[in-house]
Amino acid sequence: MKEQIKKRWQRWINHRIPRRDHQVMTQRNIFILPTGAGVVFGLLLLIMLITGINYQNSLIYLLTFLLGAVFVAAMHQTHRNLAGLQLTVLSGGEGFPGESMSFRLRAKANGQDALAISLIWEDARIDQQHVIKAEPADLALAMIPSRRGYFRPDRIRVETRFPFGLLKAWSWLRPVTAGIVYPRPAPAPEATSTIQDGDQTSQSRSVDGNDHADIRPWREGDMSQRVMWKRFARTGEMVIADWEGEQGSPHWLDYEAFRGVDQELRLSYLADQVLERMKTSQPFGLNLPGHVIDPDVGRAHGTRCLKALAVFGLEKPREGDSLAYGTRQKDGTHGPQGSSAQGAPL
Amino acid sequence: MIGRFMKNGKTARAPELIPGTALAWLMGGFALLLLPQWDRLPVWLMASCAVLAGWRWLAQTGRIRLPGKLSRSGLMIVLVGVYIATVQGRFTVETASSFFVLAVGLKWLETRTVRDFYVLLFILIYLSSVNFLFRQEIHWTVINLAGVILLFVGLQVLNAPGAPGAVRSGWKRLGLMFLKTLPVVVLLFVFFPRMAPLWSVPLVSGEARTGISDSMTPGDISSLAQSDERAFRATFGADIPAHRDRYWRGLILDRLDGETWRQSRGREFRRPGRVSVDGGVGPLAPEEYDVLLEPTDQTWAFALEGSVPVSDNVGKNAEGLFRFNRPADTTVRYRMALAPQRNDSPDSLLNPQQYLQLPVSGNPRARELAQTLKDQTSGPEALAISILNRFREQQYFYTLRPPKMPDNGIDALLFDNKRGFCAHYAGAMTFLLRAADIPARVVVGYQGGSPGAGDEYLIVRQYDAHAWVEAWIPGQGWTRFDPTAAISPERIESGLRRAVQEEGSFLENDWTSPQRYGDMALLQWASLRLDMMNYHWQRWVVGYQGQSQMDLMSRLPGGFGLRELGYVTAAVVGGALLFAGLFTALRGRSFARRDPFSKLLGRWHSVCERAGVPVRHGETPSRQAERLARAEPSVATSAMTFARLVNKHYYAWTPEQSDTAHVRDSARGSALGSERNVKREMQEELGSMKRLLGRLSKQLKRSNSSTRQE
Repeated sequence: MKEQIKKRWQRWINHRIPRRDHQVMTQRNIFILPTGAGVVFGLLLLIMLITGINYQNSLIYLLTFLLGAVFVAAMHQTHRNLAGLQLTVLSGGEGFPGESMSFRLRAKANGQDALAISLIWEDARIDQQHVIKAEPADLALAMIPSRRGYFRPDRIRVETRFPFGLLKAWSWLRPVTAGIVYPRPAPAPEATSTIQDGDQTSQSRSVDGNDHADIRPWREGDMSQRVMWKRFARTGEMVIADWEGEQGSPHWLDYEAFRGVDQELRLSYLADQVLERMKTSQPFGLNLPGHVIDPDVGRAHGTRCLKALAVFGLEKPREGDSLAYGTRQKDGTHGPQGSSAQGAPL
Repeated sequence: MIGRFMKNGKTARAPELIPGTALAWLMGGFALLLLPQWDRLPVWLMASCAVLAGWRWLAQTGRIRLPGKLSRSGLMIVLVGVYIATVQGRFTVETASSFFVLAVGLKWLETRTVRDFYVLLFILIYLSSVNFLFRQEIHWTVINLAGVILLFVGLQVLNAPGAPGAVRSGWKRLGLMFLKTLPVVVLLFVFFPRMAPLWSVPLVSGEARTGISDSMTPGDISSLAQSDERAFRATFGADIPAHRDRYWRGLILDRLDGETWRQSRGREFRRPGRVSVDGGVGPLAPEEYDVLLEPTDQTWAFALEGSVPVSDNVGKNAEGLFRFNRPADTTVRYRMALAPQRNDSPDSLLNPQQYLQLPVSGNPRARELAQTLKDQTSGPEALAISILNRFREQQYFYTLRPPKMPDNGIDALLFDNKRGFCAHYAGAMTFLLRAADIPARVVVGYQGGSPGAGDEYLIVRQYDAHAWVEAWIPGQGWTRFDPTAAISPERIESGLRRAVQEEGSFLENDWTSPQRYGDMALLQWASLRLDMMNYHWQRWVVGYQGQSQMDLMSRLPGGFGLRELGYVTAAVVGGALLFAGLFTALRGRSFARRDPFSKLLGRWHSVCERAGVPVRHGETPSRQAERLARAEPSVATSAMTFARLVNKHYYAWTPEQSDTAHVRDSARGSALGSERNVKREMQEELGSMKRLLGRLSKQLKRSNSSTRQE
């Protein structure tokens, strides 16, 4: 019963607050309720009123009404504090499982300052963040993912209790953008490692020479040494020779190298190897079924490989529409490109 | 800037500590809220509150540590022990409120987390309403409210630590809140139905109040004469009567017990409960007067001779005195009327023995004198007059510094010292009358009073306390004789100040009293103004209760009863909430309001959709137009033009441009004109875009229908 109510409530909220990377807090999506302290304050006012009635004391009446009115005004203030706040997802972040990774947001106050804002997602929270008008604040919510893959917080709670802490106004941000969680690196066993393959290839290469080369068109990121310049001179086509023997070379990290090993573990081995190569600045390529990244060096390349490992075999979560930050628009729904609200399904 | 974050749940759920500034404001509020209690609380309690709060503050700054659980409970046991020792089982409002203060003081040491802060805050708010039970004057009200305001400023600091200008903006925000909600507060105050108490809780006070008491030993009233505390204030429907006629009767002492005069009935039965503070409504008739009595904890109502009660909270007793049905533990207002003089006294006294009682022995010379006078004079009245003449003609003095007269005090006064105060002379005269077999009694009350600012009302203070004599004259009934008037006519004609001017003993122990400096006009003026403010405050705000509310309501059109008042209150509360809600909603709307351009864009998107060109996300208008042009070549030019205009609107209009335009125009001398120009340009642009879009959609429709025909 309780579960069902909870489920319905969640569904209603999800309906009311669609997934978006950019959200403006308005009275449509702000909820407001008294806090525990607010409830006690209400009881206190009741006790004061009874005291005033019993002692026929006009001044206690006056004080009670004054504080009651302040309570109502605080309702307005608390709501207003959150209203007009814009939250935009900057990036979902990247990281390893079990390590903190920052989900980055930009908060901008429209209308008036938004003081003492808290952002809460499960255990991760930012407290007492003051967003001053015309001074956007970049916030990082430190989240600790547990599994490889896309990592998207379902609902980030945005809350404020300003000014008196007697009432809380809150809303949720349901981001579209997902962070990426790399596989947890695990050292690969030596035996099946690429070194052995390397021995084989040197052997095979010496026997077969260049005959077993695959010819394919040049792609961005290919090293210039591997362009077949002779053929370029002849035909004007840039082609690359992919030596079959290279598949097992130390330059290639291969998914197939670990036969009989569980998929997640293979990815972990590969992640560890990528990190190892990045440390030693060796050029390497990554061969995943259906996704080949050609050998290269550098940080960007390493990250690209890690990302490929992270999302291997996973579908990108899609729901709602994402909006990149920096597009010239005041509001997620009504800018030059913000057509989603008018019913233009993708 | 990157927000602070907490790494894991453990630290996030650890109790938050209180920022020092918030604590300072809370302490400031506490100090202000203690002020109204200063003369009720024992000194040790005030001192320990200061020490405990100071301890907490030093702990905040990190100089010392807060006590651990053990020493805290030890401290608590010690302080509660001291409290129990001083209270000794008396349960009064004072002991209750000092226990309350003790609890607050001890709570300081436990105030570590935000939660504790709220607990303390709520206790302090309740303390402020407890303060209102004792002090209702306007200045105490201001102090009390200021204390509450400090608490709320502290609360804002607590809830936004580190916000720029938190304190100043906190004041501003709070002030605005009070201002905005003031109409609602006033309406609620006026219309909230003043119900009868739900249950009766007497304010039992253990504190001895300054004021006349129910027994009179020579010297008692002279100590009262050193107090300038207010006894009551009276407003008259007509002119204030002359000073010499203002005898406010309070109680009658008819039993001489050694040297002390007492009431023969003993203490009147005091019913617990609260006196009705409703003191009649409407304007005063010429013969009526209205008394605002300070709390006395007694049932006595002071009234001029020959008065009848008008308001129903006072009644007349068998001795012709006026009594409340409950002790006056708060300020009470009642209304009396001066009845025309008529002789309705009974022909004979029912119980003359009661008024002839004297101790069996003592004061032989006075008894002798009474016998002599009785033989010399023809009747009771002549005898009384001859006593007064003796006081007037012989060298008797009126003094606030009478010598001690331990044994046979009346003899000593009459024959040896001849120096005394009203109580001495009243007692002595009653003794003489009784010794001469004339029924007589001592009346205690006030005599005189000084006019307040603008002569609007009369202020009667404790130093106006007086005692005089009433004797039973056959045919006339009880008749007033005032020996003081014979000895010191100034006392009766213009008051104590003039009577003891030569002696210089007026309020000689009270340096701070503004009354003492009667010759300083400015001081007098200021003190009277303050008193008048308080008087009106007491009458109209503090005294706004049941009947006065009903009176006000009866002047409104349509009969207003309690039920209607309930409706009005509900309407006020509902209306205020509705207004706040509407206001919020309207404000919120402004964030989401669409400008005409985005409306136009919406139309453009729907036109594209209809033409079979789905709107893609993140596509620029010109891209979109290109695709539309490819799909429908007939509208290519219009679409491209439209896209260009959109681009121009969103991207070409930069604030710098508008600024330079503005500067240029204001150089020409019409800043207003330039603004109007900009607006007109915008309007024109919008108009042309609308027309363009209209043309475009028409073209589309035409081409659609033509393709269908083919």
